[in-house]
Amino acid sequence: MKFYLALWFAKLMGVAINMISKDRGTNLPGEKALTIDPDFVKHFKNIDYSKVIFITGTNGKSSTTNLVTHILKQNRKKIVSNLEGANLLGGIATILAKEASLSGKLKADYYIFETDERYLPLIYAQLPAQNMLITNLQKDQVQRNGDPDFIIRKLKEVVNPKMTLILNNEEPRSRFFEETACRSIYYGVSHHDESFTKGADYPTHACPKCHHDMSFDYYNVDSIGPFHCDFCGFASKKTPDYLITDLNFYDQSFKLKDVSFHMPYDLPFMFYNYAGSLAVCEAICGIAPEAAAKAFENFKNIGGRFEVLTYKNKTIKYMRIKQENPDTLQSALNIMASDQSEKMVALGLYVVNDFVPHYINTFYAFDCDFKPVVDSNVERYLCFSEHVSYDTANRLIYDGVAKEAITIMDSDNINEIFAEIDKAKTDNIYLITWLSTFEKMKKFIEGGQN
Amino acid sequence: MQQMIKVGWLFNNMFNLHGDRGNLLAIRAEGERRGYRVEVEQINLDTETFNPIDFDFLFCPPGEIEHFEAVAAYLEPHRKELMDYIETRPMLVTGTSVGLFGETIKRDDQSTIRGLGIIEVKTRENHVVYGDDLYYSCRYNGKEMDIIGSQIQMLDLDIKEESPFGWLKYGYGNNGETRFEGVISGKGMFTNTLGPVLVCNPWLTEEIINLIEANKHWPVWEEPRDNTLELESLKTKIAHINKKETRLKKLGER
Repeated sequence: MKFYLALWFAKLMGVAINMISKDRGTNLPGEKALTIDPDFVKHFKNIDYSKVIFITGTNGKSSTTNLVTHILKQNRKKIVSNLEGANLLGGIATILAKEASLSGKLKADYYIFETDERYLPLIYAQLPAQNMLITNLQKDQVQRNGDPDFIIRKLKEVVNPKMTLILNNEEPRSRFFEETACRSIYYGVSHHDESFTKGADYPTHACPKCHHDMSFDYYNVDSIGPFHCDFCGFASKKTPDYLITDLNFYDQSFKLKDVSFHMPYDLPFMFYNYAGSLAVCEAICGIAPEAAAKAFENFKNIGGRFEVLTYKNKTIKYMRIKQENPDTLQSALNIMASDQSEKMVALGLYVVNDFVPHYINTFYAFDCDFKPVVDSNVERYLCFSEHVSYDTANRLIYDGVAKEAITIMDSDNINEIFAEIDKAKTDNIYLITWLSTFEKMKKFIEGGQN
Repeated sequence: MQQMIKVGWLFNNMFNLHGDRGNLLAIRAEGERRGYRVEVEQINLDTETFNPIDFDFLFCPPGEIEHFEAVAAYLEPHRKELMDYIETRPMLVTGTSVGLFGETIKRDDQSTIRGLGIIEVKTRENHVVYGDDLYYSCRYNGKEMDIIGSQIQMLDLDIKEESPFGWLKYGYGNNGETRFEGVISGKGMFTNTLGPVLVCNPWLTEEIINLIEANKHWPVWEEPRDNTLELESLKTKIAHINKKETRLKKLGER
């Protein structure tokens, strides 16, 4: 009875929230339902766990979930998915409540859930998915996660011999889970025009099998690329099951299993999301690459990390990064560096304010290689954001930028940021900052300051 | 021939959590500013001959506890050499790796890892990570200074009879219950301060190089570094600390 009360309450609450705002309410109904019935998610009926797919990992969860769902829907499959990125138990409870009948029955071909890696054991306890894609396991949100091993231990609580894993072939920590699963499917990306190497003073990490140093032949995305451990032989496969090849930035195309695909976003971190999605769609859901290819023609990612604004005669290219996450910062830097035309670089790394205590952390910037940006024809740098701007400037100085080429602004004042952008001779502006400042900048432009 | 400073970077690939390579950039930059050649040698499990005394400065960054047993086994034969080393030469050990140089590390699953026992410190893994700013005063190579940084505390420290490296002005420090930050033993600094501590606090970097110069009987460099940028950074970080919300036990109550 508790379940029904919780379900009806969540449904009503979902409808009410939806009337106020369609963008809200992705977590709240489920959270409230879980307070009424703590095993709420476990009590839904008709879920075939072999049709449930978790998509977890540090980076790329949302995009992969969005793409898998899109491909399957385009192929007329009935999908239940948490597309809005509500990836905790409450978010999953919300979507299940919304999709279920009044008696708690669900009817779908597949259940595709983005799952927060930290809360995976809690989610799995109520929804024992038999399939899981691990995008990658990287340094991220250290204030709550500490180090990657902290997350690996969380995943170890869940991965079991009954599971099918879909694993990033070129990311050692994810690959290591192959030892536990009953079946592993591997996906990867071949060398492309924006693959890169880093100097010997950029650390890699330890082999998850033997603790010795890992080597990477090159990186397709920071910390991800063909790897090997000389000590124990642990290495990426030369030909994973699903390998993206022939990446062509000019034609916006790539191939997988000899099928040609349109590339909806030519951003290197998306390539692994493409490969992983295609692996899930064929290996778990039976949608062959030929059928999946059509869906790439009209794929629009929700909440992407790249946005372009027009301000006066200037183009502002905004790249959203995840705080405390060197891999997303490196990806953004690589995108900037690949543009050799004159540019202004505005960097607004910021105080980490996810929860109390807010704290200053820009140290992940030292894991990133700024030199390609420094060598990419930068007219001027702007380091802004209260309390961290000096550290950001210092990071640039340590990669060879002259102090005189940097404007340091210990502030997040939008007018001051635009005043500096106005001073730039170039019309090509690259911007990295947190979403809140970006949204204010967007409003500033929309408010007629254009 | 150009005078050379030789730096040993311990387990740089295995222990790589918080942009720690920034410390090597800082040491290199300050050494080169004074006209020295700075050579950095990476020490890992495959290094066949490691002799601490071959180095002028050793840096051990923080690492995942998962790897500690392998590293402790590698360093165990060098325990005495490392103890002798820190009597006169500078070494910086940060974050979780402090536990490796201590006596024992008690893990969250109640298992225990034996450390090197170079410092009399017992550590225990926290069930929940604590991240915050860290601000303290310390004395190194005879100079009083303030240190600013951040802390991601995965291990709490009980420093027993050892001397603290610093005295907290803000932060969690060794365990959130005392005003102690880290440990100093001889010239070895064992601190919870993470990331590029030598970038953010160039006054400490200068003292490390001053000590190296003294150890090598070179004249100590007279011309101070221009630390204006870092002092401005310190000022704005203190302003942030002074206004922020915290749930830490007040220093006066510790």
